[in-house]
Amino acid sequence: MVSGKPSKIKSLKSRKNLNFLLAFLCLTLVFLGKLDLVAMRNAKSFLSDFLAPVTFAFNKPVKELAGVFEDVKSAGSLRDENIRLKSELRRIKVLNSKVASQKLELFELRELLKVLPKNKNNIVTGRAITAPGGIFANTVLINAGEDYGIKIGQPAISSLGLVGYVVNVGLKTSRILLTIDINSMIPIYLTESNWPAVAQGQNGELLQIKFLSSDANPIEGEVVETSGHGGRLPPGINVGKLYKSFSGGYFVRPTVNFQRLTYISIITNKKNVSNFSNDFQGFAPLQKPKKSIVLKGLDSSGNRKVESLND
Amino acid sequence: MIKNHNIIYLLNKFSKSFIFFVFLFFIINFEKSLSFFPLFKIATPSLISVIIYISIKKLNVKPSYLILFLVGFLNDVILGSNLGGTPIFLLLIKFFSEGLIFSKINKNGHQDWIAFTVIFLVSFCIVFFINIVINLSLPDLSPVFYYVGTTLIIFPIANLSYDFIFFITRLLKS
Repeated sequence: MVSGKPSKIKSLKSRKNLNFLLAFLCLTLVFLGKLDLVAMRNAKSFLSDFLAPVTFAFNKPVKELAGVFEDVKSAGSLRDENIRLKSELRRIKVLNSKVASQKLELFELRELLKVLPKNKNNIVTGRAITAPGGIFANTVLINAGEDYGIKIGQPAISSLGLVGYVVNVGLKTSRILLTIDINSMIPIYLTESNWPAVAQGQNGELLQIKFLSSDANPIEGEVVETSGHGGRLPPGINVGKLYKSFSGGYFVRPTVNFQRLTYISIITNKKNVSNFSNDFQGFAPLQKPKKSIVLKGLDSSGNRKVESLND
Repeated sequence: MIKNHNIIYLLNKFSKSFIFFVFLFFIINFEKSLSFFPLFKIATPSLISVIIYISIKKLNVKPSYLILFLVGFLNDVILGSNLGGTPIFLLLIKFFSEGLIFSKINKNGHQDWIAFTVIFLVSFCIVFFINIVINLSLPDLSPVFYYVGTTLIIFPIANLSYDFIFFITRLLKS
């Protein structure tokens, strides 16, 4: 009768209790995580730092293998690619000569108008450790953290445009919320039709356009940039191109390929949100617009600026 | 003597659980890194649910709820998704796979695909609903359908592969 195993009834009871406890813990974690408590954030960043090398080691072989497949695939279409690149080069040469003259003109006009010079951005570049996959969340972990001066709220970019912004920082790693995530909202500016709006991620390939004026006449294919409204992101970062769906709704197709992210740069001289809102006086009464801050698409009094091409 | 037996029993159980934990952690990481392939650009299939179902139903290896909770929790930390979402999904997969309700569907073990589909869809719908409640918005449905579709396509492939390997090993033994 005597054995090393505990009695069956006792173990079943304790197991049942443990299962209930785990289920309860899961649900509590879900809601606690959403509350965005500082302790939870710190615990998450500590665990991310701790698990980053393991994740990198697990992901590396698959990433390399995917790269090999991509290379083999592109090797089959080398001739076509060569023809396409040659025509692209010809087009770029023509554009280059136009840009050179326009650049000089722009410089002279800036001098005449006494436009404030743009601040040079301090950039920290890190390597993406995790894959951006997941149908409920789209984030990427990079191997640069607090030790490089990265703070929450700073924008993340790649060579193609805006990737997202920093949502959590550990000592050695930072988590970036991608623009396609459902929790991401980016203030944007339609560069040709000259209208501000907000682009919200949908956990899919496209960003939904929100708060676009009913008077707006967006042009399909026009470039969408960050507007800088709200002060979280700097203006003028490329987000994507405008896309019109069959139903008539407008979306933004990001220029960044989130699956092929290898290196991500963080603009570290951008003030983080908590510092930015130090002199915030509340939502009511309305604050007087500051003359020094002129946002793209708006004049100094906050009204929409209509730019005519003929002018 | 009894104490020694107890220690050996617990050590044996712990080592088995630890190996299974490492295996599941590897699988869940592999699953996420599949998104580097253009085929799974939209969404990656849920390999872990297939593995858990096969290990419970065919291999008779039952991962403990604690292991599944830990694997899911670590996955949420790595991916940066809502903490607790993946553990709930994994616990539900195990709960329904062991559940008696589905023994009616899978009477003679030949309706594995239907049983898995029901288990997977029920578990996924619960987690999906929780996520909608938390985010207060409905996400784009195309990655969701792609995720469900690819998982349901991969299951029979994995199932048949297991049956084939089992058949070959039995043939070699005989």
